[in-house]
Amino acid sequence: MSKEIKNFVCPYCGESHDTQDGLKSHVFKSHKGRGLPAAEGRIRLFINKAEHTFLVEPNWTLYYLIHDILGLTGSKQFCDRGACGSCTMIVDGKPVLSCMMLAIECDGKTVETVEGIAADGHPLIEAYVNNHAMQCGYCTPGFVVASKALLDRNQYPSEEEVMAALSGNLCRCGTYPQHPIAVREAAEKMKTGGKK
Amino acid sequence: MTRQSEIEKERMQEMFDNLGADKYPLKEYKSIGKKLPRKLDGPPKASGEAVYTMDIQLPGMLYMRFLTSPYPHAKILKMDTSKAEKLPGVRYVLRYDDPELPEAANIGQMAGFFGTDKPLPGVAHFEGELVGAAVAADTEAIAEEALSLIEVDWEERPFNLDVEKAAEPDAPLSYPERYADANHWNKGVIDTLIKGDVKKGFAEADKIVEFRIVRRIHTGMGPERQCGVFKWNGDCPEVWIKQQRAHLPKYQISSWYGGVPMDKIQLHMPYQGGSFGGWTCVESLMGPHYCAGLVAKRTRRPVKYILNRREDFNVGSMDAGTYLIKVGFKNDGTITAVDGLLYNLNAYMPIFFPALHINENTRVPNMNSQVKAVWVNKCETVPTRCELLPPCLSFTLIMDHVAAELGMDPTEVALKNDGAEQHDMAWLNEEKKKRGFEVRDSLKECIDKGKAAFKWDESWHKAGTRKLPNGRMHGVGFTWTQEWGDSLGSGEVAIRIERKDGTATILAMGCDQGVNAEESYCQIVADELGFRLEDVHYNQQVDPGFYRMTPGSSTNMSINGWAVRHAARIVKQRILEAVTSPTSVTQRGSFQPMFPDTRPEDLDIQNSLIFLKADPSVQMPVSDVPKRGSLAGVMSEAEAFGVRNSWVQPLFADAYHVQHGGVNPNNPRPHLCRQAHFMEVEVDTDTGEVFVTRIVNVNDVGKAINPMSCWGQQYGGSIMGVSRGQFEEMIYDPVTGVMLNGNLLDYKIATIKDIGPIRTILVETGMGYGPYGLVGIGEDIATVVPGLLAPAVYNAIGVWIEDFPITPDKVLKALGKI
Amino acid sequence: MKEFKHFNAYSVDEAVALMGRYGERAAVIAGGTDILGKMKDSILPAYPEALINIKTIQGLSDIKESGGMLNIGALALLADIAANPVIKSKYTALAQAAGRTASPHLRNMGTIGGNICQDIRCWYYRNQNNRFSCLRKKGGRCYAIKGDNRYHSIFGGSVSGGCFAVHPSDTAPALVALDAKIVTSSRTIEAEKFFEVKPVKTTVLKADEIVTGIQVPEPPAGSSSAFLKFALRRSIDFPIVNCAVMVTLKDGKVSAARICLNAVHVIPYRAVKAEQVITGRVIDEAAAEEAGAAAVAEAKPLEHNKYMVAIARTLVKRALLACAGK
Repeated sequence: MSKEIKNFVCPYCGESHDTQDGLKSHVFKSHKGRGLPAAEGRIRLFINKAEHTFLVEPNWTLYYLIHDILGLTGSKQFCDRGACGSCTMIVDGKPVLSCMMLAIECDGKTVETVEGIAADGHPLIEAYVNNHAMQCGYCTPGFVVASKALLDRNQYPSEEEVMAALSGNLCRCGTYPQHPIAVREAAEKMKTGGKK
Repeated sequence: MTRQSEIEKERMQEMFDNLGADKYPLKEYKSIGKKLPRKLDGPPKASGEAVYTMDIQLPGMLYMRFLTSPYPHAKILKMDTSKAEKLPGVRYVLRYDDPELPEAANIGQMAGFFGTDKPLPGVAHFEGELVGAAVAADTEAIAEEALSLIEVDWEERPFNLDVEKAAEPDAPLSYPERYADANHWNKGVIDTLIKGDVKKGFAEADKIVEFRIVRRIHTGMGPERQCGVFKWNGDCPEVWIKQQRAHLPKYQISSWYGGVPMDKIQLHMPYQGGSFGGWTCVESLMGPHYCAGLVAKRTRRPVKYILNRREDFNVGSMDAGTYLIKVGFKNDGTITAVDGLLYNLNAYMPIFFPALHINENTRVPNMNSQVKAVWVNKCETVPTRCELLPPCLSFTLIMDHVAAELGMDPTEVALKNDGAEQHDMAWLNEEKKKRGFEVRDSLKECIDKGKAAFKWDESWHKAGTRKLPNGRMHGVGFTWTQEWGDSLGSGEVAIRIERKDGTATILAMGCDQGVNAEESYCQIVADELGFRLEDVHYNQQVDPGFYRMTPGSSTNMSINGWAVRHAARIVKQRILEAVTSPTSVTQRGSFQPMFPDTRPEDLDIQNSLIFLKADPSVQMPVSDVPKRGSLAGVMSEAEAFGVRNSWVQPLFADAYHVQHGGVNPNNPRPHLCRQAHFMEVEVDTDTGEVFVTRIVNVNDVGKAINPMSCWGQQYGGSIMGVSRGQFEEMIYDPVTGVMLNGNLLDYKIATIKDIGPIRTILVETGMGYGPYGLVGIGEDIATVVPGLLAPAVYNAIGVWIEDFPITPDKVLKALGKI
Repeated sequence: MKEFKHFNAYSVDEAVALMGRYGERAAVIAGGTDILGKMKDSILPAYPEALINIKTIQGLSDIKESGGMLNIGALALLADIAANPVIKSKYTALAQAAGRTASPHLRNMGTIGGNICQDIRCWYYRNQNNRFSCLRKKGGRCYAIKGDNRYHSIFGGSVSGGCFAVHPSDTAPALVALDAKIVTSSRTIEAEKFFEVKPVKTTVLKADEIVTGIQVPEPPAGSSSAFLKFALRRSIDFPIVNCAVMVTLKDGKVSAARICLNAVHVIPYRAVKAEQVITGRVIDEAAAEEAGAAAVAEAKPLEHNKYMVAIARTLVKRALLACAGK
């Protein structure tokens, strides 16, 4: 495509070489103990408990990788600037904004998306359905993921705690009042032995 | 007359005869009225399975992005796209001067009603307008980069940003190509609403108050940005479109590219991430589709066009502008005259007069109300949740100014003035009787329920007199208006009884943008057919050739509800006829009916069981009917082998409904139902911060099909309403006309923390013109609540702020602190 | 986003070396929540050729108090700072500031180093595709002066003349109030002296210098601190005005006070006059009111931001009262 022929540049000292082999022997000689550079952009991810390997461009966000390349279209993009929460995914146990993360920096990480949460039969899904915690549905996956992350770390959240956890998720249809109800209903279900 | 046409006649009679209270209601409701979870759309949306247009990816698909104007008013003199074309990964650059791009194409929301438009213009009339070029590339990133390589020589033209200044005679022209004489373009078009004699009315008044409202332009901000996919399968277009009107795209596309037969067009309308009218209503809606289709043809690859978040802003709300209002009233609160002039920003339908709701739901006899549609160099403004935004804003401020001037309880002022078409409640009650409605005082019921829930009597006080222990000033506000649901429009649906299991499938293409209408149709069909709710389904993922009411979300219940009911009644009759007539009628003979020696009127259906009314133990599940005796549903092939089959004809019906109500001043049917809203605020007088601590919504929906869906529109609308009234405006640089806050950080929509608890109450007086006496609710609350902030803040601090959004700087200024 | 090279730095030396090699052509990425937004909008005349990831440097995210000093690694997440019990009880203003920054998701991604190094939010500067090539982009002028300046500086422009964009950080004023020092790869500087306005820069950091940690001295006995933020919305928003205060009380009177406003000036604004007013007094309504007035005595508001003066004054007063437990 549009790339010029790249030199093989040592990531540790910047020395450039004409071939991958030349680079490898340089690293072995001059940076003993450091890992051999993998093909630039090769990353391994655990997505919804399944292992994946990708070759990614530096300018791919985690969202783009998962939504466009892998085809898990559940996560959505409302703002693409980290201001709305629709692209929320749980990465290494924390709810984060995938549109503001570079895929290339996610090597080795664990990612949970809304699809994985639903596939596990999490009580949140039914609680959301029961309580009309969605209307157009575009922001819903982001809320479900953020709520799941909350329940992972806080089994019995209060209404205030639910609101605090979801305060970075925007909903234009105005379903806000229903989320604390749905999340606490799911928490109650889990308390009494519903599937997690 | 055949039985078939008898049924049709009955149904038509139902439609034309049923102009008041529902003459043919159901005797009992089983599914209708139930609080149901969202079993239809809820699971796909919560699990991430729901697919939206933005999610569509096709093999080989190209991504298309448009050049946008950096200036508020400019013409392209010269454009060099050579560098863009050479960028690796760019597959096509479509130029505005391409010979195949027509001067005028059918791309507008009214399918050319307001004229046709250029799919890709060479002149821009607001900063950020799609203009000049469209780039299709292998990735969105490459298309974006290519745009930055296009070199344009622009002719910058003078521009306007303010409606009042633009209306002055010496103002430069904002849109000379369309409005060559002046920016105020609707002279001579309907632009006044005059009733009675305002001079006399003001002379009779004890008091007169004048005020000015400024409503800054805001936008729908649906989460899914405008986008679409165009693919050619040979000479057949296959399109995915994010928009609310299922019937329009085919009609429009059929007129493009020299003509495309409609039967060759395959339409997909995936789930929609919020729409609120918005893009569906702009004159240039299908322009990008046109370009995508052209490029898809030339490149032989599917093309997806996408607007980024900033570009998606450019569909503004039609209440933007300046309102000059004068009200005359008596000391007892009755209003004698209203004079209202609205400078309406970029209004394409200048008929939403400031006094429209004064005319439609009060007894006020005298009004002079005018809209001046003024074009400035900002985006088009369209119904965003509703076209009644201007009348609702004015109505609230009018009513509450009167109450405030008199120190009167605004709920009393409301009751004093309730009525319709310059007549009082006595007249309106006669109208209710004439039309067969039970005479109920909708407003009083709404107010009574709302006051009790809100504890209004303890909460209301004179303006600026209650300071809270936390140091803030406490204020409460009230507003009311009609419930509008008597709309214009038509819808068509079909219902099929499935051969496999006798369940009912509703077929009608519309869009699902979140109001959960589809489930309500299932409820109606279930009760009309006598089926269990789980035996009724809705299929809108395919194009069956039947189209729900435009725009797909307005008047769902009051038009599509009728159509669905008509179709259900015909289908029910067909089921009962099928089981009482000979089956498997062929040249070789027939079988006995499933209910021999029985007439259709001897039977009924309940819980998906057909039974004999005289002896309900004689029954048959509906599921038996289509497959009774048939060899796995196969009909005639077994006949050839001498095996006799027993089958019934297809059980299917289509129906339509046309409604001629209106939002125009000559409404043939007065609005009988009302809504009332109560708001409490705290104002921090040292910082200007306003916080809405609680809201009570009361809506008389006539009959609630699914109360939970109605509540969703109430609290959802309240949240959008507060957001619009308190935070939202599109901000433009005064010097360059460039939009400054085209992102979700600087354009602020409410978060979960920004509004206190909302209590939702439904009243059901049955006085709607929809089936079962219902009236719609989806557009209402978000349209009425924004204005309610003004009287609530006034009650808190004793000063009126009528420049929306009501931000802290305005509060501090009103308090004299800056 | 356009294409760029990406490097993982595995040590501070590596990062510095890469930065030295690329100079202004590369940018450092920590949490990424600022730099990626700038790149998506292409706000600068030149797009970064490379991003240097410093999240791969070990040992820069610890939070540890020892020997009378709180040491926070530059890569410590805002969420962790907000939740840390030691910081909440002894360095309260910082915990409150970190906890009020942005949104819960962003606090799981954003680092304190990134938060104090973040770029300005001025909507002329941040307009897409470098629409306004302003003073801070080595262009001609500041567009806010004659434009819409409702969120711009109330204390005049930058030292080099003319830029009125405010510093948007919530943690920065808390660090100034707490008398923190910023540790970089080459030096240690007082927080107050860390901020500087030059084209394309908001700090004194050289092109090959990164923040590695923050040092906050244990407040003396009798001290308390508080942080208040004013924004239109109660989450997500950048501050319109914020204020961090640390006071030390002796015999019920203020023996030392550090008051820092932010989002009101091109760099965090130390309200020295307010500190002078409150020192030696009991913090009561009247004294706090006076201090608030003194804090804005030198305000030079622009056409649209007079309201920020009133808010700044109020926040100073309330932050002082909060310190006094009122």
